[in-house]
Amino acid sequence: MTSYSNGGFFNHAYHDSETLEMDRRHSSKTHHTNPYASHDPASWGESSEFPGQTHGYDAVGRAPGGGWQGESWRGRESLPTRPDSTRQHDRNHSTFRTDRDSQYGRAPPYQLPSSVSGNMTMRWRRIAVRRMSMFPDADPAHVAFTEDAIKNEMENEEQDLVKELVAMSTRDRIRTIRDLLMSFEEKKHIRRQVEALKSSYKSRQFTRLADFSENVSLSVRRAGYTIKSTRQTLELWQGIMKEIGGKFGSSVLSYFVFLKWLLMFNIFSFLVNFGFITIPLLVHDPSPNIPQNVSFRGLELLSGAGYFTYTVMYYGGYSNETLEGLVEYNMQLAYFFTIAVYMVLCGIALIFSMASSFRQNYVVAESVSNSAWQLLCSWDFSVTNDKAVRQRRNNLSVQLKESLSEKAQRELPTRSEKLKHFGIHFGSWILSTGLTVGCGASIYYLCRYEQQRATDTENWSLSQEAETLLVPFVVSLMNLVIPLFYSLFNKFEHYSSQRTQIYALVVRNVFLRMVILAVLCYYWMNVVAEKFSCWESVVGQALYRLVIFDFLFLMLGSFFGEFLSNVIGTRLLLSLGIPEFDVARNVLELIYAQTLAWIGIYFSPLLPAIQILKLFLLFYLKKVSLTQNCQPPRRSGRAAQMQTIFIFLLFFPFFVGALSMVAYTAWTLNPSEQCGPFRGFNNTFSVVGVWMAELEEISSSQWAVWIYQNVIRSEIFYFLGTLIIIVIIYIFWHVTKGRQELIRLLRQQIINEGKDKSFLLEKLHDLQKSNLSRNPKQKKQKEHTKRHLDDRSSSSHSSSNAMVQALLARQQFEGEERRNAGGVPVPSDISTSSAVMQAMVARQRAEREQDDLYHMPDEYSSPDSALAQAFAARQRAKAQESDEDNGSSAVMQAMQARQRAEADRGLDTGDLPFPVSNVMIQVMQARQRAEEEDRIQWVPAPSQNTAPPGSSALIQAMLARREAQNEYDDGY
Amino acid sequence: MGNKQTIFTAQQLDAYQDCTYFTRKEILRLFYRYRDLAPQLVPLDYTNHPDVKLPYELIGSMPELKDNPFRQRIAEVFSEDGEGNMTLDDFLDMFSVLSEMAPRDLKAYYAFKIYDFNNDDFICKSDLEKTLNKLTRNELTEDEVRMVCEKVIDEADLDNDGRLSLEDFQHMIVRAPDFLSTFHIRI
Repeated sequence: MTSYSNGGFFNHAYHDSETLEMDRRHSSKTHHTNPYASHDPASWGESSEFPGQTHGYDAVGRAPGGGWQGESWRGRESLPTRPDSTRQHDRNHSTFRTDRDSQYGRAPPYQLPSSVSGNMTMRWRRIAVRRMSMFPDADPAHVAFTEDAIKNEMENEEQDLVKELVAMSTRDRIRTIRDLLMSFEEKKHIRRQVEALKSSYKSRQFTRLADFSENVSLSVRRAGYTIKSTRQTLELWQGIMKEIGGKFGSSVLSYFVFLKWLLMFNIFSFLVNFGFITIPLLVHDPSPNIPQNVSFRGLELLSGAGYFTYTVMYYGGYSNETLEGLVEYNMQLAYFFTIAVYMVLCGIALIFSMASSFRQNYVVAESVSNSAWQLLCSWDFSVTNDKAVRQRRNNLSVQLKESLSEKAQRELPTRSEKLKHFGIHFGSWILSTGLTVGCGASIYYLCRYEQQRATDTENWSLSQEAETLLVPFVVSLMNLVIPLFYSLFNKFEHYSSQRTQIYALVVRNVFLRMVILAVLCYYWMNVVAEKFSCWESVVGQALYRLVIFDFLFLMLGSFFGEFLSNVIGTRLLLSLGIPEFDVARNVLELIYAQTLAWIGIYFSPLLPAIQILKLFLLFYLKKVSLTQNCQPPRRSGRAAQMQTIFIFLLFFPFFVGALSMVAYTAWTLNPSEQCGPFRGFNNTFSVVGVWMAELEEISSSQWAVWIYQNVIRSEIFYFLGTLIIIVIIYIFWHVTKGRQELIRLLRQQIINEGKDKSFLLEKLHDLQKSNLSRNPKQKKQKEHTKRHLDDRSSSSHSSSNAMVQALLARQQFEGEERRNAGGVPVPSDISTSSAVMQAMVARQRAEREQDDLYHMPDEYSSPDSALAQAFAARQRAKAQESDEDNGSSAVMQAMQARQRAEADRGLDTGDLPFPVSNVMIQVMQARQRAEEEDRIQWVPAPSQNTAPPGSSALIQAMLARREAQNEYDDGY
Repeated sequence: MGNKQTIFTAQQLDAYQDCTYFTRKEILRLFYRYRDLAPQLVPLDYTNHPDVKLPYELIGSMPELKDNPFRQRIAEVFSEDGEGNMTLDDFLDMFSVLSEMAPRDLKAYYAFKIYDFNNDDFICKSDLEKTLNKLTRNELTEDEVRMVCEKVIDEADLDNDGRLSLEDFQHMIVRAPDFLSTFHIRI
C-alpha cells in the first residue's frame, strides 16, 4: 500500500487541478522556499537514472491547466510547516520530482505568487499520507480529496501551529519561530498570525487589563533586548576577533577565544576576592601597617617582596579580627569561605563547560569521514582576507592530492621499518621524560640551595631580594626552552597521523609543567612552611614572581618563537618559511599561567588582578605577533576537538592539582603564628569548628550546627555520597552504551535500506528492458483494457490508485502463492503471519471480484470497484500469461498487469518506463516510511492482521522486497 | 535612540528581533551596512515597507563576502528571487543564519542548499565537482576531481543512492563539530 499521494499524480483530475499547478510552480521556484518544498523530490530522484523519461511528466505539467489563477486561495494563507517534530516524517513521503528540464530551462512558466506555494503541496501530501496510513486498506474513493478538503486541512494545520505557538511562553515561542526552517518572510507571516490570535484572545478578556499586561510583556521583552545589546557593546575585542578570524581562520581564533574566556574567569575571581576579603578590610583600616624602614624600591614589581609583603596583596596582610563597622564582619570566616566558594564555583564552571564541549565535540563526533569533511565542512566562511583565501585554497588542494596519493600507495611498513619507528618513539619518549625529571630535580635542588641562603628577616637587602628571582627565572626558562626540544623530537618521529603527533607533544608538555609545579608545591609545603614565620606570604611572593616571570617569558617566547623564526624563515633559511601560529603550545602556556593563579589564590588573594593585567596585555601582544609574523595554518585541524581537550587539561591535572594543593594547605598545615587571618589555629579548617561552637549558643541556628556535626564531619555522608555518584555514573554509562548500540543498528538499517533500494531499481530496470521488447504483443490486450477501464475512469478519480493497488495486491498474492507452493523458503520475518493473512484476504477478494468481472465487466458500482478492477486486470494478465506460456516470472506478471493498468490510465505521452519506476519507488517509499515509523515507535511489529498502519505498510513493503529477492534467486 | 526610531517602527524592530538572532543594535548596524552598499537606492525610512532590492553585484562586493568562493551561491540561496538580488529582509536573514547564535539544523540546511548548485535537493556529483572547483580553483586534474567526488560520496552517502541527501549531509555535519564555527560570518 503505497502512499496515496500517488493519487494526484496518476489521476487525470489532479493533472488539471491546482495541486499540480503548485507542483509546477514549485519546480520553477526552488530557491528560497520552505524545506518541505525542497525535500519534496527526495524519493523521486531515482527516475533521473532513466534519462529522458521525465519529460512525460513535464509534458503533462506544462499543459495549460487549472483554476489556480482563478482561485482566491493564496499561498500566503497557507501556513507552511511545523517545527522539527514532523519534519523527519515528511521527507520520505513526498512524491513529486521536480523536473530537471524545468529547472534548467530558467524561464518559469508561471509567476509565483509567493514562496510558500511549494509548501501547500507538501502539506497536502502529508495529509494524504496521513490519511493513507489511517486507512491502510481503504477504498480508493477515499483518496479523492476535494480541493476544499485539502484547503481545510491546511488551514487546520496552520491553526494548529499557530495555536501551539500561542500556547507557549513568549521566550519559547520566539525561539521556535527563529528556529523554523523557513525564510524570513514566512517566519514573519507566522509571527503575525500568532500575534493576531493572541490579541484576539486577549480582547475577549477585560480589555484594559489585557492591554496593560500586553504592554508590560512587550516592554519587558524590549528591555531584555536592550540589555542584550548593551552586553554586546561591552563584549571585548569584537573587531579584533573578527579580523583574526578573517585572516587566520577559526582554529587560531580559538586560542583567542580561550584567552578571553580565561580573562573573564579571572575578572570574576578578582571581583569575588576583592569584594569579600579586601574591601571590608580596607574600609575598616585603609592604611597598611608597614614598618618604618620599608619603602618602595621598584624591584617589588618583579619580586613581589619588600614593600608588598605588608599590603593586602598577600595572606599576611589580612587581620584575624572581627571587623566592627555597621555590621560585624568576621575576617577569618570571610577569607575561608570566599576562597572555598570560589574554588568550588571554578570547579563547577569547568565541569559544565567541559561536559557541554565534550558532548558537542566528542560524543556524537566519531570517525568523521575525511574527504567529505574536507570538501563540505572544512571551508571557513569567516575567512574574509584575500590572501588567506588563496592560501586556504592551495592548502586544500594539496591536502586533497595528498589524501588521494596516500590512498593509492599506502603500503604496510616492513618489519625493520616498524622496529625503527618503534625505536625512535621509544627513544624520544625516554629522552623527553628524562628531560622532565631532570628539570624537576634541578629545580628542587635550586630551591634547597636558595632556602639555605635565605634568612627569615623582615627586610631583605636589594641583592637578597634579587636572588629570589633566580628560581622563577629558571623555571620560566625551562618552560620556554624544553618545549622547543620536544618540538625538535617531534620532527624526527614520524607519526602516522597529525593528530597523534599533536597529542604526543601536548602530553609531554603537560607532563613537564606538572612535574615542575609538583616539585615547587612540595618544596613550599614541606620546607617553606617549616622555616619561615609568615610562610604563606613567602609562598604568595614566590607565586607572584612566577606569574610575572611567566609573563615576561611569554613575551620572549613570542619574540623568539614567532618573530625570530619569521626573520630566519624569510631572510636566511627560506626553506623554513613563515612560521605558523602554534595553537597547542600557546594554549598550554595559558593553562600553566592559570594554574599558577589558582594555586596562588589562597596565598595571595589579589593575584587574579595581576593575572587580568597579564592576559589583557598578552592578548594584544599575541595579536600583533600573529599578524606580523605568522601565516594561517596550513592544515585545518579539528579545532573544536582540540578545544575540548584543552578545557579538559585545564580541569584535570591543573585545576584538580591546584585544588588539592590548596585543600591540603587548609586542612593539614599549620597557619603561621604571627600573621594572617588564621594565626593561632591548628589548621585553617578549624575556623569552621570555632564558628560552629559559637553558633551552638544561638538556638535559631541549630540546624547549621546539626549539618556541620552530621554531614560535614561524618564519614558515612561522604561514603553514601560517593556511592550514589558511582551508581549514577554506572547508570549513565549503560545508557550511553545502549544508545551507541542503537545508533549502530539504525545506521546499519539505513545502509540496508539503501542497498534494497538500489537492488530493486536495478531489477526494475532489467525488467523494463525485457518487457519493452514484448510490448507489441500486448498492444491489443492493452487497448482492450483501456476501453474497459475508461468507462469508469471518466467518472471516478481512482484508476491510478487502482493500478497501484493492483500491484500491491498482486504482491501480496504472490507472496501467499509462494508460501502455498512451499517451493521457496520464505525468510522468517516478524511480519510473516500478518502478511500471509493479508495475502489470503487479498486473494479471496481477487477471486471473488474476478468472477464478477467476467460476468458483468461494465457494471461496477461497488465502492472498491477500482480495486476490483485492478485485480481483474491482474487476473487476466495471468490468464494471458499462461496462454502465451512464456513461463515468465511473477514479477513479469506484475509488470504486465501494471502496464495494462497504466495503459488504461491513458497516460498522454504513452511513456511507459517512468510510471513503472514510480510504482516501484512508491513501494519502496512505503517501506521506508513504514520502517521509519516503526523505528520511531520502537516496538516490534505486531503479528496480527489488525496491524497498525505503520506495520502494515511495512509488511507490504517487505513482501515486495522478498518477492524481488525470490525472483532474483529464481533468475539464477 | 530618537533618530533610530525613524528607520523602523517599534513593531518592525520587534518583528526583526523575534525572527532573527540579532538584537536591535545589530539590526540597525546591518541596516546601515545594507544601506552603505547603495545609499541612493535604500531610503532611510523603512516604516512603510519600501520595495527595495539590491542587485547581487552590490551584495557580493561586501568585504565579508567578496573573497568567499561561495558568495554567489550564498546570495542566491538567501534571496527571495533566487538570483542573488536581496531585500533588506533577505539580507538580515542571511546574516542571521550565518551568525553565531543560529542552531546547527538551520545552518546545515542552508549549507546544504549552498552546496546544492543545481537545486535538485541532492548534492550529486556535479555539485561536488563545482564545489571542489570553487574551493581549489581548478587546480586538480579531472581525474583527481572525479576521484575526490567519488570518495566523498562513498564516505558520506549512507543510503547508497549515489548522492547526498539532506539527511546524509546533516549526519555528516553532526559529526563535524567544527562546522558550527566555520559556517559563521562575523559582521
